Amino acid sequence: MLESPYVTQYLTEHFAEADYPTLKGYERFGGYAAARKALTEMTPDEVIEVVKTAGLQGRGGAGFPAGMKWSFMPKEDDRPKYLVCNADESEPGSFKDRILLERGAHQMLEGILIAAWATGACATFIYIRGEYAFPAAQVERAVAEAYAKGYLGDNVMGTGFRHDVRVTRGAGAYICGEETGLLESLEGKKGQPRKKPPFPAQYGAFGMPTTVNNVETFSHVPHIIAKGANWFRSFGTEKSPGTTIFGVSGHVVRPGLYELPLGTPLSEIVFEHAGGVPGGRKVKGVIPGGMSMPILPAGQLDVPMANEFLREQKTMLGTGGVMVMDETTCMVRAASVISYFFRDESCGQCTQCREGTGWMNKIIERIERGAGEEADIEVLGDVAGKMEAKTICAFADAAAWPIQGLLRHFRDDFVEHVRQRKCPFPGSFEL
Amino acid sequence: MPKITIDGNELEVAEGRTILQALDDAGLLMNGIDIPHYCWHPKLPVDGSCRLCQVEVEGIPKLQIACDTPVRDGMVVHTQNERVKQAREGVMELLLVNHPLDCPICDQAGECKLQDYTYDYGVQASRSKEPRRALKKNVDLGPTIVFDQERCILCRRCVRFCREIPKTGELAIFNRGDHSVIETFPGTPLDNPYSMNVADICPVGALTTKDFRFKIRVWFLEDVPGICTGCSNGCNIHLGVANNKVYRYVPRRNDAVNDTWICDAGRMSYRRIGAPDRLRECAVRDESGRLEPVGLDRAIEVAASRLRRLVDSKGPGVIAGLASAHATNEDLFTFRRFLAALGSETHGVAVVRGEADDLLIKEEKAPNAVGARELGFGDARTVVDRIGSGGVDAVIALGNDALQEGLLGSEEPLANLDTVIVLDTHASELQRVAHVIVPVRHAAEKLGTFVNAARRVQRVVPAVESVWETYSDGEVIAKLGAALGLEGFDGSYDARQVARDLAAANPAFAGIDLDSVGDAGRPLADSAASKAER
Repeated sequence: MLESPYVTQYLTEHFAEADYPTLKGYERFGGYAAARKALTEMTPDEVIEVVKTAGLQGRGGAGFPAGMKWSFMPKEDDRPKYLVCNADESEPGSFKDRILLERGAHQMLEGILIAAWATGACATFIYIRGEYAFPAAQVERAVAEAYAKGYLGDNVMGTGFRHDVRVTRGAGAYICGEETGLLESLEGKKGQPRKKPPFPAQYGAFGMPTTVNNVETFSHVPHIIAKGANWFRSFGTEKSPGTTIFGVSGHVVRPGLYELPLGTPLSEIVFEHAGGVPGGRKVKGVIPGGMSMPILPAGQLDVPMANEFLREQKTMLGTGGVMVMDETTCMVRAASVISYFFRDESCGQCTQCREGTGWMNKIIERIERGAGEEADIEVLGDVAGKMEAKTICAFADAAAWPIQGLLRHFRDDFVEHVRQRKCPFPGSFEL
Repeated sequence: MPKITIDGNELEVAEGRTILQALDDAGLLMNGIDIPHYCWHPKLPVDGSCRLCQVEVEGIPKLQIACDTPVRDGMVVHTQNERVKQAREGVMELLLVNHPLDCPICDQAGECKLQDYTYDYGVQASRSKEPRRALKKNVDLGPTIVFDQERCILCRRCVRFCREIPKTGELAIFNRGDHSVIETFPGTPLDNPYSMNVADICPVGALTTKDFRFKIRVWFLEDVPGICTGCSNGCNIHLGVANNKVYRYVPRRNDAVNDTWICDAGRMSYRRIGAPDRLRECAVRDESGRLEPVGLDRAIEVAASRLRRLVDSKGPGVIAGLASAHATNEDLFTFRRFLAALGSETHGVAVVRGEADDLLIKEEKAPNAVGARELGFGDARTVVDRIGSGGVDAVIALGNDALQEGLLGSEEPLANLDTVIVLDTHASELQRVAHVIVPVRHAAEKLGTFVNAARRVQRVVPAVESVWETYSDGEVIAKLGAALGLEGFDGSYDARQVARDLAAANPAFAGIDLDSVGDAGRPLADSAASKAER
């Protein structure tokens, strides 16, 4: 047994088993029974119905219902249909997919197979973040094992169903995690999101009907099929069923991954599971779902970690990457780091995003080094507002929201920088 | 057909069009209903990236980009309300954050969409205090285009143009975010037969042509509608005129002919108008064999007396006419009538041929080959053959295209003729053998029509006037006819009247006159000649 810091539920239950990443190990714990059940006992519509009833939300950040997404795939269409597994995990603060790839590649593949059956897809492209060398090797090995065993290929499990899986690698652009940016990159083009419509279900990878799901989304599917929608709904909240893997980082005693039901209060994650802030310091703010989600101040940590509650606090679950910042943190410095990231990663198509990310970053950096004025803070908020909801993809939102969140809750940090003409938090984190 | 309401105006539109396309179809875009836009271009694929064309569509919470929002029956669109106005101001402010604002030294000033839209839709003052991007200036993209990276607003029209129209794809966006720049790939300059169109579609001063930049401020230019004479496609153009000089050709949109494009060769052909080798004075060959400058009256007199002598001694059958596909229908109709009245039956039109493509460039390198054939001029080959067999004593040549290989090859075959009369715009070897030379007008200097390869009648109007005396071919022929006392020739020539006569005489031209043909041209009716040609 490997030592496991995880609070394990069904997804990560066997991740500490040394042989679990292998096909043999996975089958030892009942692996691929759900896929066999789906392919031999269920119609595609029945599979979609179960996933819909289970209420599985996409775990890639947007939380779109997975069953509904699958049902968008055109039925009367002669074109080949594809699935894409989005394993381009690159949201800062998010590292849950990595463990699912490293230790649960077969679990993910089984979910892919079930989704393929449900949508009639003949092939899946697994698009893995370029930096994820070891996870990619694990997935490639799992795919090879599945082919050897007849779980992939021309005659899956002897049912006559055909499904191929191909692993491709990203080359290091955040925007290739956006589903249509990913599709462009997958096709060998520059990773730039496509305008929608047409949506991928009509015009996806190589122009074919395509469904893109996140690694974790696929990983939940075998469990739903094996144990049923009602079982799945026994985890989480009414509107957000199931568990998810929270990746906790920052100023905590036990950073790491925690599989917990959706709706678990953020304070429980931070203080109980991750052990709170070291050195007796206080929490200043917590980013609840990866860097693109607006921060929550210390006073709002009781919020249950599910979108229906987080939205009331003007933030979202995102990818479940919980980033904890203690009282020594300079929020202008945080804004500077965040805005630099988005400036660097914007694909540059849309005016607001291209120019807005750069402008925000320049203003913030100027305030940070003590050369800002109060009026700059107004302009900063206004630029963020100009970027929101007006572009091809959600990147501009993702760049604007965290800055808006920081201004909403930590405006004083900005004002103090301007007044003191320097950073009032010496020793705040450096990169 | 769906009905939509834009700013209270109901509009019936074709199915499957976007809001901008529907307005463009109706001729209302930026001409009654103003939706400013940068990346959208009517002849390029939708990009949807500049985000300036946002409008409010009732029932949709977010503003929508008009370039990529398909019309639906009953759609209600607002293009001028406060929300839309603010969104536009936001985009304009962001576009200017990194723009150098160097209008005083920018060649685009005066026809710059960034400048125009900033006045119309922008904010008065920039709130940005940040340093602007420092990028490459004066980048040599290829033989025709210079690029200023700092002025570029990354609308990507040029990138899409190269990819979609000439399909050469030389340009691409390199890097991303606010460090995105347009570049060529190493070792692959922007060099295709249509490269200079990128300067036209560039909404700002980023892409300019080496030919035109810094020649004149555009607000001094008058845009005169005309036709490119480089080949038989007859691309519609604007001649940029100032000080009685043509500074450039730019394409003029005509969806039936050239969309919004023109080839580089055609664009550069404006240089022929004021070229140093233009013929500037009439001349007649004296007894010593030297060309003597004379006035038009004297030239006509000499030509007439030489022709009269031949008609009297050998009959009109020894006189041949070489028509030019650069002459207008009105010129050619007059010439054809002249030859008929004279009794000459040996005539044809010489057309230079060259490379063609499937975009705009046509094989016949003259604007009016179809018109010449329609008016009864056959292949110049028959004339050349007859000259070779000794059956011709006099040639009246319009232009010099008959000099090409495969026809005369050189002036040599004409050297021993009794009389050679040349009406031409430019000097050529024909001068060596001509007995009478009359300088005639370039298409940019006269009124008339051409028929393009697709059988469309298109009009040219005088954009400039040569500083020396020139005449329309038709005018010279009319005077010659009068001097010879031919029936139906009184020496006058009025292109408008000739066009009406032509319409009455030739069913294919029925109903077409120099007014009704308009700036957009009109299709020629089918005729015996066109059917025979096919």
